[in-house]
Parts: sequence; structure tokens; C-alpha cells
Amino acid sequence: MTRAAPNIVLLVGIVLLACAAATRPDWHWRLPPGWTPPPVPADNPMSATKIALGRRLFYNADLSIDGSMACATCHEQHHGFSDGNATHSGVHGEPGRRNVPALANVAWMPSLTWGDPRVRTLEAQLLIPIAGTHPVEMGMNGHEDEIAERLGTDDCYRRMFRAAFPARDGAIDMTTVADALAAFERTLISDHAPYDAWRAGDAAALSPLARRGARLFFGPAGCAECHAGPNFSDGAFHAIAPAQSHAADRGLGEITGRASDDGRFRTPGLRNVALSAPYLHDGSAPTLRDAIKAHGEVARVPENDLPALTAFLAGLTDPRFVQDTRFSLPDYACGKRL
Amino acid sequence: MKQFLTAVLLLSAPAAATAQEGPAPCTASAPASLPANLSGWAHPVAVTAARDTAGAGRVTLLPGRGAAVTLSPTPRVDYPVRPEHPGGTVSRGGVLSFDVTSPGDYRIASSSSAWIEVARGGKTIPSTAHGHGPACSGIMKMVDFKLVLGRYLLEVAGNGQPTISLMVVRMP
Repeated sequence: MTRAAPNIVLLVGIVLLACAAATRPDWHWRLPPGWTPPPVPADNPMSATKIALGRRLFYNADLSIDGSMACATCHEQHHGFSDGNATHSGVHGEPGRRNVPALANVAWMPSLTWGDPRVRTLEAQLLIPIAGTHPVEMGMNGHEDEIAERLGTDDCYRRMFRAAFPARDGAIDMTTVADALAAFERTLISDHAPYDAWRAGDAAALSPLARRGARLFFGPAGCAECHAGPNFSDGAFHAIAPAQSHAADRGLGEITGRASDDGRFRTPGLRNVALSAPYLHDGSAPTLRDAIKAHGEVARVPENDLPALTAFLAGLTDPRFVQDTRFSLPDYACGKRL
Repeated sequence: MKQFLTAVLLLSAPAAATAQEGPAPCTASAPASLPANLSGWAHPVAVTAARDTAGAGRVTLLPGRGAAVTLSPTPRVDYPVRPEHPGGTVSRGGVLSFDVTSPGDYRIASSSSAWIEVARGGKTIPSTAHGHGPACSGIMKMVDFKLVLGRYLLEVAGNGQPTISLMVVRMP
């Protein structure tokens, strides 16, 4: 054994401990065969109490400056946790900038906005709508402490924070709020679409037209080159149309400063996509047909293939996910009806 | 005419959805001229929304007539049906009523993006469409419902300001 060996053993031990800490015994991932658990930050392990707290916070409009907007205001369950608008106005009516992304299986996404690859954890992303200014969404920039004040007046919330964050003495602050919300959002798992049954061997789960669409999607249409993997996103940033000079939204180019990145946006996942119209980063495509046709730079789909492709995409709708009461507005907290 | 078309460009909405829409862009210096069925918006009566079902029976909106509604702090409102988007403790809300004397399509026009629910018999009525008002009209959003004869409760939740303008409109 070399002198380095003990250090390696120690390092491996630390890594294993960190991984173990990321999932507490009271929380177990229930995933389809072949799915691996999503990455979870070692300092924010999953727990049932934290998820319950995050779920309640997700629907709490006290996370916005005037109490009018919750996360759920834009991320509506019946839209696959997106909404039905091109963009969503901010808390004071500020114009929205980008289409609200759906949240199904968001735990597996390697980055979490349309145009910024630096945002790699839900804990970091959550602060953008809550306190961001480009654009203003929930309007809490400079008022973050008010969230703790509001939640701290509620005895039930104090108990929930203590249960969820015992190592932090139940602290109510932006860190614990973000950690709880992130834990809840990691549970938003959609894996019961007809497509999943079809993948598992039930050939009849998709209609003949949808099966033809699947062949196109994974074959000549080339969709799966970017809409890849179980969540139909490669996590990379692509341009599907030539970048427009003076475009209001440069996409990735806004972050990198490179003109060659202008017009590049992260590939969105497609689970429950039929429920989340309109489409594209700016919501400019009202229908799935429009969205497919907007990919002219990367995939020219013949008009007569569009019905099959849209039928296949409809097969990604998971009815159980959009009705699952574990994800909906909670009716009870601390044993009392809300 | 263009403004009127904006008003009627409502999106079909799934059950119970009253999703918000951004306000129509306003570039004009003068207020919009409203279509006839929204003309009552310009001359609102002042009312104070109730905090519960019993009180709502005494605060009745007349279809076709605008109302400048004073709301209460959300924690003091006891909604007959819990709103799908309840609003934070710092928001405002309230309950009103209105009577449907001829069945058909009704529209609720609102000056803000507050959550709007129409309820009856302990249940909310699914909306049929939603959209925004004419540019520069002060109407931020409009939600449509198909209603039969009877009295309905109008729940307003999660308003960011102490007041809101509302109008119930019988659609042709």
C-alpha cells in the first residue's frame, strides 16, 4: 500500500458519507427501472418533513412582495407546472420575459433556466423568481427578510421549519426556504405517461399515429438529438433559428457575451408538453405544430409528419402527475385544515 | 375596433383555471373607448367586499355596472370555498355576490391579476376562458363562466392592493 492509499480511502469515505447524507432514511426515491436518483446537494438532503414544508411554501404567496404571487401562480399543476401564457407578468405588472418552464423531473436537469448554464441547482434557481430583477417576478429583492418575518408569525410554520431543519435550529431564512422548496420540487416526478408504458413494453399504450410519431421523433426527424434521454432534453443550449440582430433576448449570448451564442437556449424537456402551450423561450409558438415548425434551422419536418409527431408528444402527458395530490395545494398543516 | 378585438380574444381555459394574463400593452395617452358591454366599467360604484358568505349576500354586484371594491386583509377573510390560489397574509381579498337572471355566458372583468373564483353551493364553477382587457382600459384580466339562474359568490383572492375594480358582464 502506498502512502497515498490511506488518503484515498479517507476521501472515498467522505464522498460516501456525503452521498448517504443527501438522502435521509425517511425519504426513498421511487423510480422506474433504469432511472437513477437525481443529484441532491450534500448540504440539503431529502427528508419528508422538508418536502412537506417545501410543498406548503410552493403555494404560499407570502413569498412575493405584496402577497399576490406564489411559485404555484406561474407553475400550475394542471399545466404540468407551467402556465398557459406566453410570459407571465411580474408582481407589479412588469412585463414577463420568458415562457414559464414546466417542472416535471426538474431534479435531473443539469441547468435550470432558459439561458444561464451557471444556474445548476434548484436552491440557486429559486432565488431568481423570488428576488430577481431581470425581470422582476415576485419582487422580493431587498425585502428577503420580510419572508422570514411573515412565516415566523405562524406557529405551524415555525414547527415545520424546526422539523425540517433540526441542525439549523429551525432557522427561517432564505437558505432554508430555498432548500425546502428545492426538496419539494425534486419530488415532482412524472413517469406514468403513455410513453412510459410503451417503453415498458405495452405497445398499445400509444396509438398507431403516435407510434409513427415516435419513429419520426427518434429517427429521421432528428428531434431526439437534442430532446434526448428520459426527460427529452440534452441540457445543452441550441439555436433553432438564426439569431436576430438586436434581439431583445440573446439567450446564452447574454451570459457568455459571445455573438456566436446569441439565440441559443437550453433544450426544454418535453414531459407533459401538450399541457404547457404556448411554447419556445418567448412563448411565441401557440401550438405544438407551431413549435415544431419553428425548428426550421435544425429540423425541417414535412407538413404531413406533423400530426404523427404531435400525437407522440401528446403521449408524454402523465395524467397521474397533474392530478397527484402529493403535489397540489395542501389542505392541512400541523394537523389542522388550512 | 382593434381594442374590441383584443377584448374578445380570450383563451379557452381548462377546468377551474383562471390563469393570469399580462395587461394589454398601452401606448395611447388617452383611456380606451370601451365596447358597449364594458361601458359600465368607466363609472364604478364604491363597495366594500364582505369577509364571509353571510356578508357577501349584502354586497351584490349588478351585471353591467363596474364596482370599485375595497378588500380586507386576507387572514380576516373566511372564504366559502378555499381559493385555488389563496393569497399571502399581506394580500387582500373578499367575497361578493351577484345574481344571474338569465342563463348564459358571463365575464368577470378585473383591474388586477387577483385570483377570481365564482362559487355556488360550496363548489367553484370552472371557468371557460380567460384573457386580458382592451389596451389602456384599466381591465387587466377577464375570466368567463357559463352560469345558470341563481345567486353566485364571487371570491377575490391574493390582491396586492387594498382595492380592486370589478365588473360582471352578461355576454351576448
